[in-house]
Amino acid sequence: MLALRDLRVNYGAIEVVHGISLDVAAGECVALIGANGAGKSSTLKAICGLVPVGSGSVQFEGRDITNASGHAIVRAGITMCPEGRQVFPQMSVIQNLRMGAYTRTDKDQDADLGRMMDMFPILRERQTQAAGKLSGGEQEMLAIARALMARPRICLFDEPSLGLAPKIVASVFETLAQIKAMGMTILLVEQNSMMALNLADRAYLFEAGRIVMEGPAKELKSHPDVMRAYLGH
Amino acid sequence: MLIEILQQTINGLAIGGVYVLIALGLTTVFGILGIAHFAHGSVSMFGGYLTFFLVTSQGLPVLAAIPIALVAGFVLGLLIEIVAYRPVRHANHINAFIVALGLTMMVEGINLQLFGHEQIVIPTGLSKVFRLGGVTVPELRIYVIIAAIVLVAAMMLFVERTKTGQAIRAVAENRDAAILMGVNVNSIPLIVFGISTSLGVAAGIMVGALFAIAPGIGEGFVVKGFAVLILGGLGSFPGAILGGTVLGITESIAAGFISSAYKDVIAFVVMILVLLIRPQGLLGRSP
Ligand SMILES: Nc1ncnc2c1ncn2[C@@H]1O[C@H](COP(=O)(O)OP(=O)(O)OP(=O)(O)O)[C@@H](O)[C@H]1O
Ligand SMILES: [Mg+2]
Repeated sequence: MLALRDLRVNYGAIEVVHGISLDVAAGECVALIGANGAGKSSTLKAICGLVPVGSGSVQFEGRDITNASGHAIVRAGITMCPEGRQVFPQMSVIQNLRMGAYTRTDKDQDADLGRMMDMFPILRERQTQAAGKLSGGEQEMLAIARALMARPRICLFDEPSLGLAPKIVASVFETLAQIKAMGMTILLVEQNSMMALNLADRAYLFEAGRIVMEGPAKELKSHPDVMRAYLGH
Repeated sequence: MLIEILQQTINGLAIGGVYVLIALGLTTVFGILGIAHFAHGSVSMFGGYLTFFLVTSQGLPVLAAIPIALVAGFVLGLLIEIVAYRPVRHANHINAFIVALGLTMMVEGINLQLFGHEQIVIPTGLSKVFRLGGVTVPELRIYVIIAAIVLVAAMMLFVERTKTGQAIRAVAENRDAAILMGVNVNSIPLIVFGISTSLGVAAGIMVGALFAIAPGIGEGFVVKGFAVLILGGLGSFPGAILGGTVLGITESIAAGFISSAYKDVIAFVVMILVLLIRPQGLLGRSP
């Protein structure tokens, strides 16, 4: 469904992603794990058109979307729930959710809004509050729900557990598991490698802008190098 | 005394409406692009001049000239965005600043060339004066206040109730996140400039009908517009509305009770006092 080939990303003269290739099949949940600054977020941003692709290609459902504009990529069916949540702080919870459905013109938007608030009751409680007033965990739920409001064909999550208390992290992963169970195709970036590998079908390990290992999540989880470096065993 | 205050408040509401319309344009442009669009006042007065021209030289009725000027304002806004600001969009902010200053001089020059240096007043033929108690209210002033309220309400509805309006807010609050929602961030500044300039033209027409337009007037209004933004709280719509109204009424009362020569001084003194107590402005968020 999504295929990256020899993707390179640079900020000015500094290249941070050095030619990576990866695939996500329909219905799959793929995790990207690796240390800080390895280039995971840059990869996701390049897919979404937030940063330019230096060279290589991004294919989505057989179409080349390399360096297409961000709004065209969203319309193609790719939505990202970005690192650090990035809710619209002064807009209300409802307005944030409706922004998620910005590209949609169908009649089901209100029904989806209801569904999201069933899935995240806290959002119903806080619906008229400014998003910036929510706690970190609540903002993450809002960011996830907002991404789903687009009815994407693939959803990218960039460190949804970042900066959250352990109890909240667990509930974020429960939510992701629920979304996966609904049949959503997922590309997940996580520092919390153990949780990510438990959830994902397959995974890629990033190191300094390169993919150094890939395979079924179960295999990576039991690989001695991964266990030592990322799982703290 | 009470009657005099009431009288000046009504006078102040009319000029306050003009300030609000100018400030709303400035604040939306600032929110989206982070630029201080200094030329806004001169462009607004161009709209007033254009209406005057359509009425006096072309013989159009005022009510026909106004919509034409508003549409012309919208188109002019698009042109300003494309020709003046788009090229410096990714450059340092100082570039946009210099473009804004250059554009101001250019538009002032164009106004002078096309419409001359004589002051003009748009003839509306509205000369009735209502008397309520001891308060006298010219009918023109009432129409100006009503028009300002309608335009501000329409703008609020547009921003709060339409997808495009929400996209404008979203881009102002978080540009990257707005892109991730599928907002085309290239077309939003166009829409913002079109609408803002249209509102500015409405303000220019009001100035031309209530008072007079002359070279340099537009620059005075843009300074007041920015004062309103700071007074109300940068980036806040309700703040701009409250700030403009407060500034208009303060000025009027100052002019009525002290001297119209001091009205600007007093208006700015009030602004400084407000900022001493609330540095974030009347309705701004505390940092
Ligand atoms: N806007 C930018 N300008 C310049 N360099 C950047 C920019 N964004 C990221 N970088 C650099 O690119 C490299 C990769 O960053 P990236 O955010 O993609 O890593 P990451 O794997 O997502 O890390 P983290 O786990 O900390 O989020 C880092 O060295 C970072 O400093
Ligand atoms: Mg990252």
